[in-house]
Amino acid sequence: MKQDDIMVIGAGPAGLSACFYADYYGLNTIIFEEKNLGGEAAEIPFVENYPGCDEKMTGKELTDRMVRQCEEKRGEIHQFEKVMEMDLQGNQKIVKTDKGEYSTKYLIIASGTHPRVLEVPGENQFRGRGVSYCAVCDGAFFKNKRVVVMGGDNRAAEVAVFLSGIASDTKLICHENKLCSENILVKSLGKHNVEVIEGMELEGIKGEVNVKSIVLSDKKTQNTKEIETDGVFFQLEGIPNCQIAKESGVKVNDEGYIIVDEKNRTNIKNVYAAGDVTDCAVKLVSTAVAHGAAAVLDIIEQNNQTS
Amino acid sequence: MSKVREVTDKNFVEEVLNSDIPVEVDFWAPWCAPCNVISPIYENLAEEYKDFKFCKVNVDENKQTAMKYRIMSIPMQIFFVNGEKVGEILGAVPEQTIRSKVDEVLNNYPVDELGRFNKILTLWIEHNKKYARKLKEWDEKYENMGDRAVYNSILQTAQEIENSNKKLSRLLNEFLKKV
Repeated sequence: MKQDDIMVIGAGPAGLSACFYADYYGLNTIIFEEKNLGGEAAEIPFVENYPGCDEKMTGKELTDRMVRQCEEKRGEIHQFEKVMEMDLQGNQKIVKTDKGEYSTKYLIIASGTHPRVLEVPGENQFRGRGVSYCAVCDGAFFKNKRVVVMGGDNRAAEVAVFLSGIASDTKLICHENKLCSENILVKSLGKHNVEVIEGMELEGIKGEVNVKSIVLSDKKTQNTKEIETDGVFFQLEGIPNCQIAKESGVKVNDEGYIIVDEKNRTNIKNVYAAGDVTDCAVKLVSTAVAHGAAAVLDIIEQNNQTS
Repeated sequence: MSKVREVTDKNFVEEVLNSDIPVEVDFWAPWCAPCNVISPIYENLAEEYKDFKFCKVNVDENKQTAMKYRIMSIPMQIFFVNGEKVGEILGAVPEQTIRSKVDEVLNNYPVDELGRFNKILTLWIEHNKKYARKLKEWDEKYENMGDRAVYNSILQTAQEIENSNKKLSRLLNEFLKKV
C-alpha cells in the first residue's frame, strides 16, 4: 500500500492549492482526479475576480499554472484515478481507488461539484444539438446565433457575458425572482446587452434536429411563453460530489455540502474538506485556494503537536 | 509518436470517409478542458486496436468539417464505417464507455472479407426469421383473407422461403466451420 503525508481528492483550485502549500511546508501530496485537471474552474471563460490575473486570463490558463507548480514540486497527480471507497475511522486513513489502495495520515476532500440537470423535456434529446453544460467548450459554435443561459448566480452571469461576445443575442434566465449575482456582474450584463428574465421556470426545449426554442412558465401567473433560441447553456448551481465522503462518515448538510469549521476540519479527525464541496457560502476560486491553504496550515500545526 | 492522426478539412475524405477500416474522429479544441480528458484515452486505444483508425479534428482550424457534421458541443466523437456515420459519443465519458462503443462498431462492421460475408448473411437470415414469425402470428389471428386459393399459395411460398432460410443458416455454419 502506498503511503504519503497528505492525500487530496480533486485537482481543482482547492486541491491544487493544498498541494502547493504542503510542498511549501515540506510535505508530500498525492492528488486523485478522476476527470480533468483544474476541475470546474478550468471551464471559467475569463477569471476576472482573482488577484494577479489580468482580465484576459482563462480559467484553464490559471489552473494549468497551478497544475504545473504542483508537478514541479512534491505533488503527485493521479489523473483518471477514481476514489471508490474510504475508511476514515482509524489513525491511518485508507483510500481505495479503481487503481490501488493508499494510506495517509491526513486527507483533504476537494472533490467539487458536478453540473445539475433539470431533466425537462428535450434537455437530453438536444444534448450536443444546442444544449450545453460548458460555455467555454461550446460557445464558439454559436457565433452570431441566439443563446439563453439558465442560472442566476455569479457563474451564470459570467457565462452570459462571455457568450454575449460571440452570440448575436444572449438572454439570462433565472428561475428565482431576482438574480443573486454581484452588482458588478449585473452592471456588466447590462453593458453587454444581455437581457435578464427573472422568475421564469424552464418547462421544455423544442426543436427538430437542433434546438429551436424553449418554453418558459411564469412562476407567479403560470403563464407560458416560447422564446426562439439556437442554444441553451445550463449554468445552475452544481451538486456536491460528496457521496463517498458521506458513506465514510463525513457529515454533510441538507444540501449535501460537507460541513467544515473555520480551519476546514470535518467531523472526523485529520479529515478536511476544501472548495466548492464545503458548506462555505462563498464559492470562488479565491475561497477554494484559501481553504486548501487553511487545511494544510492546520495539518502542520497537528503534525508539530504530535511530533 | 502518437498513433492518433490529425485530420483536416483537406484530407478528411481521404483519411476518414475512404478508410478501409472503421474510424473514430475526436472533434476537439485547445480551449476545451474536458477534451483533454478524452485525448489520452484515445492515445491508449490507438496503441491497442490495430483494426481501428483513431483521428482527431481541431474544430477551431477545420470549420468546414465541424459544420458538415453539425458539431455544436465538444468533445464529440463520431464513428465512421465505409464513409457513413454509424455512431457518436458526446462529452467526457469513462474509458469503458468508449471501449464498448469501439467493440460494438467492430462487431457490427467487421473489416475482413469473411467477417463482412458472415455479417450480410446473418442479418438476412435473422430478418427472414423475424418475418416468418410475424406471418405465423398473423395467420393464427385472421381467418377471412378473401381468395383462399391464392392466400394458401402465399403461405406455401412463405414456407418455402422459411425452409430455404433454414438451409442457408445451416450452410453458413458449415462454411464458417471449414474456413
